[in-house]
This record gives sequence, structure tokens and C-alpha cells, in this order.
Amino acid sequence: MQYENWVLESPVLGMIFVGASFIIFYAIGWYSQRATKSSTDYWTAGRSIGSITNGLGMASSYMSLATFMGVTALILNLKVPFVYMWIQFTLSIPLITLWYGTPLRRMGAFTPAHFVRERYGRRTSYITVVFMILIMVMYALGQMIGVAKVFEMLFGFNYMVALICGGALIVGYVTIGGMYGTTYNAAFQMILMGVAFIIPLGAIMKAMGGTGWYFPPLLYSDMVPDMLKAVPDFFDMKYGFKWYLALIPCFTIGAMGLPHLGMRVYTASNLKTARGAMVWFTFFCGIVFCSTYTMGFSGVFYQATSGSGIAPTDFDKITLILNSVYNPAWVLAFVIAGAIAAGLSTISANLMAIGAMIAQDIIATIKPDLSDKTMKTIGYCAIAGGGAASILIAIDPPTFLVVSILWAFGLAGVTVAPLVILGVWWKPANRYGASIACLVSGLAYIIVSPYIAPNIVIGGGLEAKVGMTGSLFCVPLTFLLHTVISMITERMPGLMAKIPHEQDKRLVDKIHGWADYSDQRYNNTNAGIIIAVVSALICIYAILPGGWA
Amino acid sequence: MNSAYKKEIRYTLIFSALLLICGHFGLLFVALPGLQNKMVFGFPSQYIIPIIFGWVVLMVVVALQAKLTNDLDDEIEALGDSSESSK
Repeated sequence: MQYENWVLESPVLGMIFVGASFIIFYAIGWYSQRATKSSTDYWTAGRSIGSITNGLGMASSYMSLATFMGVTALILNLKVPFVYMWIQFTLSIPLITLWYGTPLRRMGAFTPAHFVRERYGRRTSYITVVFMILIMVMYALGQMIGVAKVFEMLFGFNYMVALICGGALIVGYVTIGGMYGTTYNAAFQMILMGVAFIIPLGAIMKAMGGTGWYFPPLLYSDMVPDMLKAVPDFFDMKYGFKWYLALIPCFTIGAMGLPHLGMRVYTASNLKTARGAMVWFTFFCGIVFCSTYTMGFSGVFYQATSGSGIAPTDFDKITLILNSVYNPAWVLAFVIAGAIAAGLSTISANLMAIGAMIAQDIIATIKPDLSDKTMKTIGYCAIAGGGAASILIAIDPPTFLVVSILWAFGLAGVTVAPLVILGVWWKPANRYGASIACLVSGLAYIIVSPYIAPNIVIGGGLEAKVGMTGSLFCVPLTFLLHTVISMITERMPGLMAKIPHEQDKRLVDKIHGWADYSDQRYNNTNAGIIIAVVSALICIYAILPGGWA
Repeated sequence: MNSAYKKEIRYTLIFSALLLICGHFGLLFVALPGLQNKMVFGFPSQYIIPIIFGWVVLMVVVALQAKLTNDLDDEIEALGDSSESSK
């Protein structure tokens, strides 16, 4: 079949909308940063953000360019299993808040690595910081390349010019605004992208004959019979039990390890507003995610029924194509501005995380006596430097860095989440267990991926490429190694004498809010044994053949 | 060990289970294929039930989680205050 590639017919309106949105982003960044009085304010927005703004910011950090572009291609390829892959992302902030967000907020952490340093010492924190920066660079790089490609399409620049101009604009507003600017901008971007996604989608549904156009996220069942005629396998589960089980370690626990999500909780004005933000996050995230499924449904429906085939290379532009077919040009321009806002909100959160880890988790630990003014200057430089590095890498990115943003989730699940979860909830977890588990499992996850040594990959196909097969083995491996090594070394007085384990244990009670210390709390050896046995069984299940299809 | 500590552990485990159920309904449908293809609100069950659980039901669970864990924080704080004043 011959396909005609889609091109944007009238980019001028898009330029106007995108240009106007950037003016607003800079204005918000500039206005918000005036509240920044110290380096702590710069990284945590003065721990002053209310629940609705924070809920919007949390959801916004999650809505990447993929919401507008990448996921429609995934829906066309995966169909219903995509819904299962995506829907569980809404668990991230509630689980982070429940398991470690509020204790780390109580501790006054800047990043999850800050907690790792306090709980497991500097050496372990350096290992996790390296993995976290790698994860954030992979994440930011995908967005940076995506935004550059939209700029390329919109302004007609070549890729290099689009990348440098777009990248510089983004890095500029994030550096100026710090966490204050990033948070208020993220809240604004969430509203912009929500409106730009959902309202035009209603118009598309109406034009396609859908009667539930006034509430696109859920009311399109009248299109189901026609969909079943056109695409009979759209609602098929397709994959086996193992595929759906692997979503938990790869994406649910993976998202719990993403530093830029955890950092949103630390900006809350208090623990109650942090929890309030989590409720708002669920609402905002849910409404946009459900609309994403509707957009994907409409895209598949259009592809199957319109007779105008969409080129496979254009699958990721379904949202734009549907808007160009069914809506006026100014609406398409508004949607493009929404897509750019989605990419920017994610990049800005990634850059904040990279900057905070460089400034607070590396430089501040090596040079703890620097003045606050110097730390603030280092903060500006860390974000600008991290952004510049992302732009430079995006010019000709190494293949392993652009494999998949989804693969980076698994790496976070392997190297970050288990250390933080066990560190907060299980006192016997110690520095030896943490550093060995993080390093061994992190390297194992990289090695069993299809990108380094194709001969020793676990599983194959899409599930291996996005890290699901590797995560199902390596996430429980981290829990197994961490618990077993901690329990063994805890019984070796010579090794325990070298670390301040009592002090580490006291930190656990403190961050849970207890005024006194009790050795009985969070100190159950049986819990460690249960975690180790269950983890070992899942590791074995992960490497057994079959179960994926 | 006091009841607030036991409550903290219980809430964490129960809400983790509830959150995982809300976000991973696919496991139920793939484990019990007989539940698939029943029409609910005009959609196949394996499509719409996970969507509703992943958004609407999840919001209810999260709101309850926020309420109960906020109350628990107050309880732990009160315990700390009473132990301070008894010193």
C-alpha cells in the first residue's frame, strides 16, 4: 500500500501559539523565582507548594511529549494491552507518597539520593546518583529530541538548529525559575495540555459521529460496535500472564524510583498538602490518560475506516493528523502548543533532578562548607550545564541512550526504588547490602537488555526492548541481594564496626515521625526472610521460558 | 509496640494491595479469561473495568489513603507530644 507522509500545511498559527506559550513560560519563571531566597528554596520551591498546584505539577511531570505523540503509535501497535501498560502509571505518586514520599519530606530531602546518602553513606549514594543521572539524561534526551523534531516540523529549521534553539529556550526558563518557576510552569502547562488535548478530542469525536463527545475520556461506547467490525482484535488481551505481571516491577516500581517524581512531594508545604496533591494528581492524570485511550481508539478507528492509510512513520502523529482532518487550523496550532508544553514539563522536571543531584548530592557532599550564595550559583550552573549536556548529546546521541524512555523506568526500578523502600521500612538494611545490590542488579539489567549483549537477553520482542523482561528478573534480584547481604553482614561484628549502623537505624524512626527510638519498630528479621524468598521465586519465574505470549 | 505503629504497617500493606489491584486489573482478566468480553457500559469488560478502576476507583482509594494516613500522623505526633510532656 502506498502511503503519503503527513505534513503540516500552515505552520504560521502554530508558531504564534508556541511563541506565545514560551513568553508565558518565561514570565512565570521570572515572576516565580523572586521568592527564591536560598539554595533550598531553589531546589524545593521553599517547601511551600499547595495541593492543587502540586497535583497539577505532578501530573504535568508525567505528561510527556509521548502523551500527544508517542503513545498513539503504541496504541496502533499494541491495541488494548497498551491501556494496561499506561493505566498503572497513575499509581506512581500514591505509591511514592505512601512508601517514602512523606518520610523523605519529613527528613527535608532534596532528592531520593539525598536519603540514600543519609541512610547508606556516601559511597552508595554516588552509585545511585550515577544511575539516576543516566536515567534522567535518557528521559530528558527523548523529550529534547522530540521537541526539536516538532520545532523542525513547525519552523522548517533543520534538526540541528531546531535542537539548539528549542533546547536553549527550555534550559533558559528552567534555570531562571528553579523549582518555583518549574512548579508553577508545570501547573500552567498541565492546564494547557489538558485543554489542548481533551476539547479538540471532543470535536473529533463529534465529527466522527460519536454521541458522547461532551465527555471524551469515557463516553465513546457507541463507537465500539463499528470498531469491532473494523478491527475485530482491538480488545484482545494478546499477551500472557507474565507480560502483565512484568508491568509491576518495570513500570510501577520503576516509576517509584524516578527522582523527578519524588522531588515533587518534597516541595509540598506540609505532609497533608502532599497527600492532598496525590489525590489531585490522580484526578488530573486519570482524565488525561483516559482521553489518551480515546484518542488512540479514535486513531485506530480512523485508520481502519477512513480509507486514507496513515504511513507507519506517521503513527506517532495521529493526534495531529486527526486534528488536521477534523478541526480548524487554529485548533491544530493550539494542540501543537499543548504538545510542546507536555515535552517541556517533563524536560524541566528532569533538568531539576539532574541539577539537584549534581549540586546537592555530589558537589555539596564533596565540599560541605560552601556558602548558600555559592550553592545557589552552583544550582544555576548545574541546571544550565545539565541542559547544555543534554542538547549536545541530542545532536548525535549514542544508540544506547535513545533506546527507550520506558527502558529507563526499569533501570530506576532496579537501582533506586528497592534501596529507598527497604531503607525507609526495614532497619536491618545496611550499606553493604545496598551498594552491592544496586551495582550488581543495575549492571545485570543493562547486560540482559537487548542493547549490550544480544546473546544473553532474557526473553525477546517488545517486552525485552522496553525492559519488562529484564525488570521482572532484576527488580526482585535487588530486593534479594539487599536483604540477604544485609542479614549476613549484620551478623559479622567486624564489618558492622566499620559503619554507623545504629545511627542509620535511628534515622528510620525519625523520618517516620517518632519522637523516641524503639529497636522493635521496622526491625523484623522474618520480614527480610519473606522478602528474600518471594524475590528468589520471582527471579526463577522470570528466567523460565514462556508465559509472555 | 504501640497501636499506631501496627496501624502504620497495616495501612501501608492494605493500601499498597488496593493500589496494585486498581492499577493492574489486566492480571485478573488474563488469569480468568472467562471474565473477558462481557459488555459493561457498552465496552468489553477487559477494557472498561481496568479504566474505571485505574481512575475513578483509584481516586476513592487515594482519598481514603490521604484521610487515614493524615489521621495516623496526628496520632504519632500526639504520642510524641505526650512522651515529651511526661519527661
